[in-house]
Amino acid sequence: MNMEDIVIKIENLTKVFKKGFRGKSVAAIKGLNLEVNEGEIFGFLGPNGAGKTTTIKILMGLIYPTTGKAWILNKEATDVEVKNRIGFLPEQPYFYDYLTSREFLRFYGQLFGLEGDELRTRMNNLLTLVGLEDAADLQLHKFSKGMLQRIGIAQALINRPDLIVLDEPMSGLDPIGRKEIRDIILRLKEDGKTVFFSTHIIPDVEMICDRVGILMKGELVNVGRLDEIMDAKVKYVEIIARNVSKEMLAYMEAMGSSVYETWEHVSIKVEDENRVDGILQLIKEGKGRVVSVIPQRETLEEHFIKKIGGAS
Amino acid sequence: MTINVKHSLVVAFPLIAALAFSIYIVQHQIAGYKGIEKKIEEFVTLPKGEYLKPAVFGYDQLVADIIWLRAIQVIGDKVVTPKGYEWVYHAMDVVTTLDPKFAYAYQFGGVTLSELGNRPDMSNMLLEKGLKENPEVWQIPFYLGFNNFFHLHNYEKAAKYMSIASELPGHPEYLPKLASRLYVQAGNPDIALEFLINMYKETDDEKVKESLEKRIKEVIIERDAIYLERGVAKYKEVYKDSPENLQDLVRMGIIKDIPPEPFGGYYYFDQSTNKVYSSVIRDRMHVYGK
Amino acid sequence: MKVLTIARNTFREAIRDRILYNLLFFALLMIAVSLLLATLTVGEQSKIIIDIGLASINIFGALIAIFLGIGLIIKEIEKRTIYNILSKPVPRYQFIIGKYLGLLITIMVNIIIMGAGLYLILIINELRWGHDIFNVNLDIWLDIWKAIYLIFIELMVVTAIALMFSTFSSSSTLSAIFTIAAYIIGHLTEELRLIGNKLPDSFMKSTINFFYYFLPNLDNFNVKGKVVHGIYVSASYISLVTLYGLLYISVVLLLSGVIFQRRDFK
Ligand SMILES: Nc1ncnc2c1ncn2[C@@H]1O[C@H](COP(=O)(O)OP(=O)(O)O)[C@@H](O)[C@H]1O
Ligand SMILES: [Mg+2]
Repeated sequence: MNMEDIVIKIENLTKVFKKGFRGKSVAAIKGLNLEVNEGEIFGFLGPNGAGKTTTIKILMGLIYPTTGKAWILNKEATDVEVKNRIGFLPEQPYFYDYLTSREFLRFYGQLFGLEGDELRTRMNNLLTLVGLEDAADLQLHKFSKGMLQRIGIAQALINRPDLIVLDEPMSGLDPIGRKEIRDIILRLKEDGKTVFFSTHIIPDVEMICDRVGILMKGELVNVGRLDEIMDAKVKYVEIIARNVSKEMLAYMEAMGSSVYETWEHVSIKVEDENRVDGILQLIKEGKGRVVSVIPQRETLEEHFIKKIGGAS
Repeated sequence: MTINVKHSLVVAFPLIAALAFSIYIVQHQIAGYKGIEKKIEEFVTLPKGEYLKPAVFGYDQLVADIIWLRAIQVIGDKVVTPKGYEWVYHAMDVVTTLDPKFAYAYQFGGVTLSELGNRPDMSNMLLEKGLKENPEVWQIPFYLGFNNFFHLHNYEKAAKYMSIASELPGHPEYLPKLASRLYVQAGNPDIALEFLINMYKETDDEKVKESLEKRIKEVIIERDAIYLERGVAKYKEVYKDSPENLQDLVRMGIIKDIPPEPFGGYYYFDQSTNKVYSSVIRDRMHVYGK
Repeated sequence: MKVLTIARNTFREAIRDRILYNLLFFALLMIAVSLLLATLTVGEQSKIIIDIGLASINIFGALIAIFLGIGLIIKEIEKRTIYNILSKPVPRYQFIIGKYLGLLITIMVNIIIMGAGLYLILIINELRWGHDIFNVNLDIWLDIWKAIYLIFIELMVVTAIALMFSTFSSSSTLSAIFTIAAYIIGHLTEELRLIGNKLPDSFMKSTINFFYYFLPNLDNFNVKGKVVHGIYVSASYISLVTLYGLLYISVVLLLSGVIFQRRDFK
């Protein structure tokens, strides 16, 4: 892999925070090494407090590392010029909420030296991309959380960046909101852009990321394709059904599935994937109704617990 | 261009140093502009104490202190014009209205206005205001006595104020005696001298001390002149003729010697006026001679 | 260009701030009330109006400079809008200068409004007494602008100081206290020279002189009293203190820039 292809390079990065006046020091990240390649979607995965935001702030030149260095597009992260090629959406962004969408985008566009028709065209395109054409002249304080996140992404794209960095772009959004963000990210990849985003939720990354890095307590514990890193294997399949007879449930339990009954539904956990078809068949034959079939995989939390357990 | 932490410091430090130096120069120039006369003129802009009082939200003493600091500076600096002293009076009046118990302000203002500004009228107004507000401070009536004695030549009043001063706590030991002698021999230069010397001791302002010193020497001249004129009279009585000069008095044993002239000059006898003069100060004080 | 963008946005934010309108309202109220107070005195009504007017412009201008100045920087940090600006190709010092310019425009507009209010009241006062408007003491009326101009320069310095304090503190209360303290000390600096002159040569004297020269000397900009009393304020004095103001602002902004450049935005 040649140097050109490396968009983000982090070398031995450490950041120590001092809490309070003469309080104790907290190392938010410790000796981080990471490379992100051109054109990929990289998921920066880790539980709350792992150090994701700290890493991103160093990349954006908002804070200075205690030791180590970070490069973006072959320039030092503190270089102001390199920001011309970056788009950034901070964690839980607050924007000037007295501005309308248009004023807001114009302001950031002007910070890149954009003006006139060029700026206007880009603004309109972006409003379309993030689906906010109708809210173009609405002040930001009237926006929902999802709309704010989308206008936030729009401002991150006003300069047609080569690299887009998003800090927890999906947190606090409902499933539809998350899907919209995922779609935007995928479209960016199609345009040949590199996307680096952080999250603490596995499903966010597993659907779209080329590679992920897993950060825990300030240390990178794993980097690679998600299915390489984690047990992608289905742990069990949960079948939810109605109108299943008592005898049949007893039979299933006897066959090794665990069964929970609620007032209306039953939930059947099938550990062996190969047996799922058989059980579905049984339910249908007994005039039962299958409501849903959900394969359950390892959660990030479980993965983390396993990691910590393995480490200690 | 990379702007990082180190660069910003390297660029900023010499710049800050250069700017700081320019600030120093410019402030120096401004201070020149604000020079002495301008400073005194500022007192014009000071509203009357009565108007200022409600406007300072209860920080009367603090504001009084600030005006006081300004005023003493102005007075201590250079020559103050006669108009300037009217503003000094105004400033002191404002200070003492804001802080009526600020006894030293009356004293300072009083002695400055009479001794340096030659305005005993304003001095007395200030001091009398002070006496009303601070009847326990002996210096205030002492200064009033001084003004009445030396500037207004109202010996009766002077004696009255001195006796007030001599009954107040903390007064110096000589005061009662001085007061009682004022009543009986107001025109005696020795008393004036004693008064002046004590006044000199009570003052710590250099300019006032200078002025008092000059006045003390003038009174010494007056005392010596009276002494020498008595010698001349005696000479005339004995020899039925006017002496050629003062040395004649010594030669004839009428006086033991001619006292030294305090300014470093000499005394001489003028036959045409029949009076003794100092070579330095030609005018005689006509007050004390009797 | 980016500086101007930030300045424009700062101005836009400022004029949507309720604090600004409250302060402006009270300033104009004070100026209007001076008309009533003026009726209580005999003669010199316009002097009282000018006194109160200039004092109001100065005090409320300072309050606007301090609270708006501090508010606008700290809010950027507290609300984290600053992340988004500094992640754009905007050097931090340009952000500072942009903010500063935006604030200056805001203050200038406010001062012009207050100054216009003062003139309006003066004219009303003259009309009320049946005076001929074209026959007033024009010199003083024109000199009022000298005082207002220097008030503006003073507020430029105060704004720079407010900005500096908010670049290293993240509490607006603390910054406000620091700035108000600096404002008060700035008006007492002149006394330091007076004290310094009185002292014999000593370490104390050098220290006092040091502070005299390097603390902000806001008294330099105060010609209100002179203007009211028709004492001539020379153009060269005005230029000199303007130069002083600009130099002082440069140092303060430079320091702010250095502090800001080194700062972590947490
Ligand atoms: N400004 C700060 N001062 C002190 N500690 C901080 C600061 N910012 C972050 N931290 C600490 O650093 C660690 C990492 O925080 P962060 O990078 O925000 O994690 P994440 O974004 O992964 O949730 C946490 O323990 C947090 O408490
Ligand atoms: Mg975070």
